[in-house]
Amino acid sequence: MTASNDSVGGGRARAILSSRPFMTLAIVAVVWIGASFVSRGFGAYGHLRYLVELGAVIGLVATGQTFVVIAGGIDLSVAAIVTVSAISLPLLSWQMDPTGLASVLAVLALTTAIGVVNGLGVALLRVHPMIMTLAMATFLQGLLIIIAGGSAVTAENPLVHWLGNARPIGIPAGILLWVAVSAIVLTVMHATPFGARIFAMGANPLAASLSGVPVKSTTLAVYGISGFTAGLAGVLVLGMNGQGYVGIGDPYLLASIAAVVLGGTSILGGLGTYAGTIPGAVLLVTITALITVVNASPGWRSILFGSLILGLLLLSGREQARR
Amino acid sequence: MSTIPSATPAGALYWPVQARRNIGVRSLFVVVLGFLIAYGVLFPGLFTASGFAKFTQSWFPLALVAMAQAILMLTGGISLAIGATVSLGAVIAATTMAGPLGVAGGAAAVAVTGLGIGAATGFIVVRLRLPAIVVTLAGSFIIGGAALLVLPRPGGSIPEWLSDMLAGNTPAAFVILVLIVALWKLYLATPLGLSLYASGENPVGAYRSGVPVDGARIAAYAISGLLSTGAGLFVAAQTGSGDPVIGTAFTLNSIAAAVLGGIGFLGGQGTMRGALAGSLLLSLMISVMFFLGFTPVAQYVAQGLIIIGAVAIPQFRKVQQ
Repeated sequence: MTASNDSVGGGRARAILSSRPFMTLAIVAVVWIGASFVSRGFGAYGHLRYLVELGAVIGLVATGQTFVVIAGGIDLSVAAIVTVSAISLPLLSWQMDPTGLASVLAVLALTTAIGVVNGLGVALLRVHPMIMTLAMATFLQGLLIIIAGGSAVTAENPLVHWLGNARPIGIPAGILLWVAVSAIVLTVMHATPFGARIFAMGANPLAASLSGVPVKSTTLAVYGISGFTAGLAGVLVLGMNGQGYVGIGDPYLLASIAAVVLGGTSILGGLGTYAGTIPGAVLLVTITALITVVNASPGWRSILFGSLILGLLLLSGREQARR
Repeated sequence: MSTIPSATPAGALYWPVQARRNIGVRSLFVVVLGFLIAYGVLFPGLFTASGFAKFTQSWFPLALVAMAQAILMLTGGISLAIGATVSLGAVIAATTMAGPLGVAGGAAAVAVTGLGIGAATGFIVVRLRLPAIVVTLAGSFIIGGAALLVLPRPGGSIPEWLSDMLAGNTPAAFVILVLIVALWKLYLATPLGLSLYASGENPVGAYRSGVPVDGARIAAYAISGLLSTGAGLFVAAQTGSGDPVIGTAFTLNSIAAAVLGGIGFLGGQGTMRGALAGSLLLSLMISVMFFLGFTPVAQYVAQGLIIIGAVAIPQFRKVQQ
């Protein structure tokens, strides 16, 4: 997707080659090639496919996060929403629903509604996004324990099972889902008025509002999208795991934010692209896999993970000095 | 809010300035007072010496982390690693104090760790220009991992006399808190302390006026780390042992307390007394819910709702005016 543009013009090719998404992609390639020399099984097609499949979950959660961050906010409730989705779906299995589609749609509607409530708090009550979404996460965490207790719930939903395990044309269904979502998201973000409004809002909310951007409804939509994609990720992770339990979504909060930032989107808003988040998500999964290969104690694994993210941020996440 | 330094040479200005600073948090003080009275009526034990001691002890760690978060937010930063830092302080205290280092050595190790972690975080955020949210989120993994290395599972011990002193029937915790607040007042009178508000409110303007913006911000991170590990030491003394994940809940609670106390996210807005009142309010809410027999789970739900409500209602009133 990048090298074929050489004939169009040197300037454009150079712009793509020096862009942040491409840099992240290059880091992924280097890490993959390097790791496959060190560890024999790492570079196998099956293993890489598995990595991308795991990356799909992070990528989906990070979809909404990218929207929210570009719009100048942050969503710290995505992990709780993933868990809500993975736990409420098995509880919503209906007799007259043989394909399982209806309950999946119901769960996605529920998580979208949670996202919209976040948006309502941010846009109408003017609560800071970080407080609103953290409080929402606390609230959901309590609610989940009341609903599900400490036990795991098993999903018997055919559609969810298919999503987590099927391989049409040799590619896991989760990856196909991610590709489809990515195509839609990239189009919406960069080729529609809605996408332009999000960037405008994140760069300068006041100017955007004065220029006629409907800030309130756009904020609602952005947080709604985040709720929807986190719900979708919850469905996928439920399909891959077979069971949902409290805490299943916890790893995806840091992962989603890290994927967004590693992909070159500014945490301050107004600047970025989902095209960077995609390799960002794969990079995160790769790091996690490498750390597992090292076979260290949980403490060292945690330290290694944090340090690697910090190191990668130094390569790609620096803000401009403003003075 | 007001960036007038608190220790102007003309002493006559001091109290009017302080009064002006109270305007923003006056309604909060009323709410806290109301809660305190309700608490005192519901549980008259508050007015005995041991009841007062227990109450201040349950408030103390939250007050420290609220201050730790407030300092950062005043300079325009934030930390999502407060909980992990509290845990690290707790496990270091629990593993060193009963050993050859003794209580003094252990306390020094806790303090140095806190200052070091804070200064390193500050250096990365300020000098390497990385967003504070992401650095501290990654930092929480590193610090949490370090806590697991020091003490993989709950254990260790704190000398009994120290536990008795800090968490027994003496108001030692309250006295220490008063001392810390006095030190904070002193710090605000030093050049670095004076720069704190300026570098949060308008970093570019402050830099061009010769304010050591970077130094003030890095110092804020270091102090924040010190307060966090100090809270960890206290929590370890309270429980008599160390636990590598005991601090987790403090991250959210520190932000909630600071925001309840009127500290703004953009820097330079709010006062430390507000943050302390916010942490007191939060602590009162948790105690009242505990005494009313809420399960921990219901506490989560109620806490989430109350925080949103408490933050939203003043904002809502502002919008309507």
